[in-house]
Amino acid sequence: MIKATIHKALNTAVGSMKLNVQLSIESGQLVTLYGPSGVGKTSILRIIAGLLSADSGQIEVDGVFWLDHEKKIDFSPQQRKIGYVFQDYALFPNMTVRENLEFALEKGQDKNIIEELISIVALDELQNRKPNTLSGGQQQRVALARALVRKPKVLLLDEPLSALDIKMRSKLQDYILKVHREYKLTTILVSHDIGEIIKMSDKVYCLEDGKVTKVGDSLSVFTDNRLSGKFQFTGEVINIESEDVVFIVTVLIGNNVVRVIAQESEIVDLAIGDKVIVASKAFNPVLLKV
Amino acid sequence: MNVFSGHISDIQISKNLSMVSVQIDERIELKTILVETPNTASYLKKGSAVDVLFKETEVIISKGDPSFISIQNKIPAVIKKCDSGVLLSKILLNTAIGDIVAIVTTEILNALVLKENEEVIVMIKANEIMLSK
Repeated sequence: MIKATIHKALNTAVGSMKLNVQLSIESGQLVTLYGPSGVGKTSILRIIAGLLSADSGQIEVDGVFWLDHEKKIDFSPQQRKIGYVFQDYALFPNMTVRENLEFALEKGQDKNIIEELISIVALDELQNRKPNTLSGGQQQRVALARALVRKPKVLLLDEPLSALDIKMRSKLQDYILKVHREYKLTTILVSHDIGEIIKMSDKVYCLEDGKVTKVGDSLSVFTDNRLSGKFQFTGEVINIESEDVVFIVTVLIGNNVVRVIAQESEIVDLAIGDKVIVASKAFNPVLLKV
Repeated sequence: MNVFSGHISDIQISKNLSMVSVQIDERIELKTILVETPNTASYLKKGSAVDVLFKETEVIISKGDPSFISIQNKIPAVIKKCDSGVLLSKILLNTAIGDIVAIVTTEILNALVLKENEEVIVMIKANEIMLSK
């Protein structure tokens, strides 16, 4: 459980702003901070990581205070059990993939974690390559693995996928979800992509002007529960085909591919790569025991 | 998707289910059954503006007297246009609340000899209608 109360006066590109937020995150949850640029999302991550000091506040993680302004407790970034992934990967260019991971080891730490991470994010073939010979998605996988070397409790992801194309994003999202579950992490993600947020998060905090304006589970925050269909999934359009007087739209939902019959009027604004909600009524699906 | 705007005129509730009536115009009311109640969906209250949504493939067309068919929603219509494909056909229907599109098999379109300007009854089952705020 992470409980954080953060106050900080920030100078942003558009003037000064007061960051005043309260977060309450259950252990093992993946939560997203969502909002326009300059509302303080990155500052919140940096304050939790101990890279930026708050004016006042408290950060309590599983009963341990990392920050308590009144009691003058302020753990250093090294004392906080945190993994941090940045948008721009921040890998050492002169080291191989494996060396980048090994560099993150603590003194005396068991090296087995390196093998485990290389296997879990599928870096076996790439482990002796230098970062500049890798694609953006591959580099971000290395950055993700490196953030996990010290077995953090909390994983902070600052728009880690925004520089990647749609296909690569979707793959990386799956890797993030895999490590999040496998290592029972509590993860805080900064993202602008609503499809990504609905796919990945248990809870979303919407921020404006340094304040939380809305909190809730991502589907109800973004769809506002406006559609009565009980059978709702978010997916990505991967194909649109014309068929007789209708169209067949193929949608990737998680690892499953579904096909939906649609009309011309429904597909005029639809392009491959778009995020869609696939909805049906609770009355239509049938259940078959497997 | 067929979409019509209206106002909720009545709600009957039983445990987790609601039967919601939506008045589209003075004469036409569509009824839908939802796994939702006013406690779980805030828009479920009398007078609320909602959209009624149903898929073209769920629209049924009857040429004769449909009184003895177990379908809740029935709307008189005139066929405006038939667009025949190999297996499926698209029928554009003019009704008092606006145009409705139906997708049926080309085989049944031909068997019923559905033609332009013909008067028919359009039917939609209550469990095929979704509401959207």
